[in-house]
Amino acid sequence: MSDYKKYQCGVCGHIYDEAEGDPDTGIAPGTLWKDIPDDWRCPECGVEKSEYDLMA
Amino acid sequence: MHIVIIGSGIAGVSFAEKYRALSAEDRITLVTKELDGYYSRPLLSRGFTKADIEQSIILKPFDKLRASNINVLCDVEVTAVNRAAKSIAISGSDRELTLQYDKLIIAQGSAAFIPPPFRPYEKLFFCLNSLVDLKALRKFRQGFLNRNQQPDWAIVGGGLIGCEVASDLATAGDNVTLFHAMDRLMERQLAPEDSALLLKVLQDSGVKVLLNQAVQEFIKEEDKVCVKTEATAEFDGLLVACGFKPRTELAELAGLETGRGIKVNPYLQTSDESIYALGDVAELPNGKLYAFILPIRNQALWLAEFLAGQKQESWTPPVFTTKAKVHGFEAVHPYNV
Repeated sequence: MSDYKKYQCGVCGHIYDEAEGDPDTGIAPGTLWKDIPDDWRCPECGVEKSEYDLMA
Repeated sequence: MHIVIIGSGIAGVSFAEKYRALSAEDRITLVTKELDGYYSRPLLSRGFTKADIEQSIILKPFDKLRASNINVLCDVEVTAVNRAAKSIAISGSDRELTLQYDKLIIAQGSAAFIPPPFRPYEKLFFCLNSLVDLKALRKFRQGFLNRNQQPDWAIVGGGLIGCEVASDLATAGDNVTLFHAMDRLMERQLAPEDSALLLKVLQDSGVKVLLNQAVQEFIKEEDKVCVKTEATAEFDGLLVACGFKPRTELAELAGLETGRGIKVNPYLQTSDESIYALGDVAELPNGKLYAFILPIRNQALWLAEFLAGQKQESWTPPVFTTKAKVHGFEAVHPYNV
């Protein structure tokens, strides 16, 4: 049972999974949401990190 | 003040929410022909590899907007704008009504562009431009899956949407042939080197790509549909993906100035000072339409701030890029947007 969480972009639906990270944009697997730089953008639609919500 | 917005895509919904956040008093009404809520248009291209797409694509049900004190009229068409009376005529299945506005925001987006030679065959092919289109495609496809078959698809158009859908259907296990009129894929957005890479990625995923194809007509043959080029080949399903056309009909009918889109000044204002246009339908003075999520959302947020009196400078396009949702494809060079 991992404690990794998922966050979803409220604009385009892209899902950030902490377990998988986002290697294409330089975010290593296992990177927690709070550790992603504030200037990181949604890789699908480009909106800011603040547009993401924690998934239930 | 009453602000009326036509359209519930990224432009209309972003504007409505932002304006509501900036102004608690003004009335906001969103009028839309959609049924299900705000959904992610980019995710339409992943409609065959995600089993729960018909639910998960909906990012904001209309009730969530209503809870923010945004009045939503859904499943209706706006049939006319009466500029003199500052009202719109709305037609739904069970009602007709007239709605007064102080400011009107047109954010109707775009429809699939159907090249004139294909128009007589509209019953023979699908498009993928909305959630309604996706549901129809999925239902058709499910008929084959229920018989343990994977359909044979022809996709006409090797632009962004054509390549994305070809990739997704092939990844879902279907047989896909992609017809493209030009000598390379996505020639408008990609450098030649990336077009070649994209071709290889699609071929490796099982897509049969045919370049330099002049598709002439479609022919119905019992339960198959044929695509006629120099040769004729038959398929189970046919999808036309030849670009988009901004929905300017309502604006034209109202006598607003239009070109490819609805002409706006740098303040996104149309030739009627009470009417603004956002997103795919807005044609800026430089002749450009910004039909990508990031600049559209940027326009919507800017207009909300401008109308709420918090911005004075005109709208300027942000730096943005895009990315084709083709499984396994990463362009080397920046996209031309």
